[in-house]
Amino acid sequence: MDPPLISESSFSVANPSSYSLAEIWPFQINGANEVAIGGGGGGGLGLRIGNLGWFVDNSGHNRDGSAEESTVTEHSGGNGARKMRDLSSEDETSKLVSITASTGNNDLNDSNSKRIRATGSKNENGGLKTEVEANSVAGDKPAEQSCKPELPKQDFIHVRARRGQATDSHSLAERARREKISERMKILQDLVPGCNKVIGKALVLDEIINYIQSLQRQVEFLSMKLEAVNSRVNVNPAIEGFHSKELGAQPFDATGLMYGSQAARDYLQGVQSEWLHMQIGGSFERAS
Amino acid sequence: MNNPKLLSLNSTTSLISRFTRGFIQALIRINKQRPVTSSSPREMYIRHRRIKSAADKSMALAVRSRRNWSRAVLARFRKKRRRHVLVRRITTCAMKKRGLENKKSGHKEASHGQANELRRLVPGGEAMDLCSLLEETAHYLKCLNTQVQVMRCVADSYSTI
Repeated sequence: MDPPLISESSFSVANPSSYSLAEIWPFQINGANEVAIGGGGGGGLGLRIGNLGWFVDNSGHNRDGSAEESTVTEHSGGNGARKMRDLSSEDETSKLVSITASTGNNDLNDSNSKRIRATGSKNENGGLKTEVEANSVAGDKPAEQSCKPELPKQDFIHVRARRGQATDSHSLAERARREKISERMKILQDLVPGCNKVIGKALVLDEIINYIQSLQRQVEFLSMKLEAVNSRVNVNPAIEGFHSKELGAQPFDATGLMYGSQAARDYLQGVQSEWLHMQIGGSFERAS
Repeated sequence: MNNPKLLSLNSTTSLISRFTRGFIQALIRINKQRPVTSSSPREMYIRHRRIKSAADKSMALAVRSRRNWSRAVLARFRKKRRRHVLVRRITTCAMKKRGLENKKSGHKEASHGQANELRRLVPGGEAMDLCSLLEETAHYLKCLNTQVQVMRCVADSYSTI
């Protein structure tokens, strides 16, 4: 009856005939995932775990995230309870609230009461439930697909998210994508000078576009300037050209490189060159 | 997310040094290949285009095809070169025409929306979704900044020689 007896293979393939501890295990994985994801999300971690444990308590199994092993030994006797836990664990991993095949009348009642209380808790706790669902969908979808791919989804319509948040996988994925985009936008806002004060995605994008355009124009302008300077360098020290041709262009290259990197370092340290006024747009002054 | 880490100070300085080396070598090569004979506007324009593309290419080479945009730039240069080998005789005419074509197609793509505008600006951004486009834009911005700085330094040092 010890948890280390559980092997890896047994919880990847959940066989419903043998009610071993391994079938409980996916739920614990689920819990671990939620802990991990919730930790990344910041606050509300303990609350979410408590919420989860409360669900399972309602289904009559007295289990929560920490004291899992002891409750497993408690309920090892009853066959029906075991089956029910199997179902509930699968429910937890897939959508949290659903009724699949029921082994007996008692179990059905049990799960009905569970659902009622689950909705009650949802009403109490607001959007927490949707968060739990998001995590379970995001984290455990591939592991769950082998067990029960589509069946719990029909029952999932009963659960509606608070605050107008949809909870199907598409909207969850969309929400995740939007979060990612806003994160990237924040990074870009930090990169573009003077963009922190701008509010609104469209305006920020405008700023970014303007900045990129000004930089590209600066590159254009600098290449024009380099063209003029480069030709003059080539024309004026004509003897040096011969010299570099003889020596394979190595000395000039080395000095140029050294000078260039030195100048770059100087520039990075904030030494303003005198020809800064020649730039286009003046957006670089804000950058440096 | 890992963008700032990826472009930490150390890697930025190495990027700068790699870009500077490549760019200066390209400048020397350009000078050797095409010694300044005339200062006609067309010659100047061609030289300017060459320096510009050398800057772009050495920037992309300094990033090394680690990023989408640098891969796109390198692929564009490879394609151009292949075409260049094919039609070496009629270089200037072809280049002019190609520039016009590029401009036209770019205008057609930027029909509406800032995302499309951004896609047009970031090389290789046409095939990206918004998420990766923004990530690429961040990296491209940093590299563009570096490019401008280094080019400024090089121009400064050349003009003081």
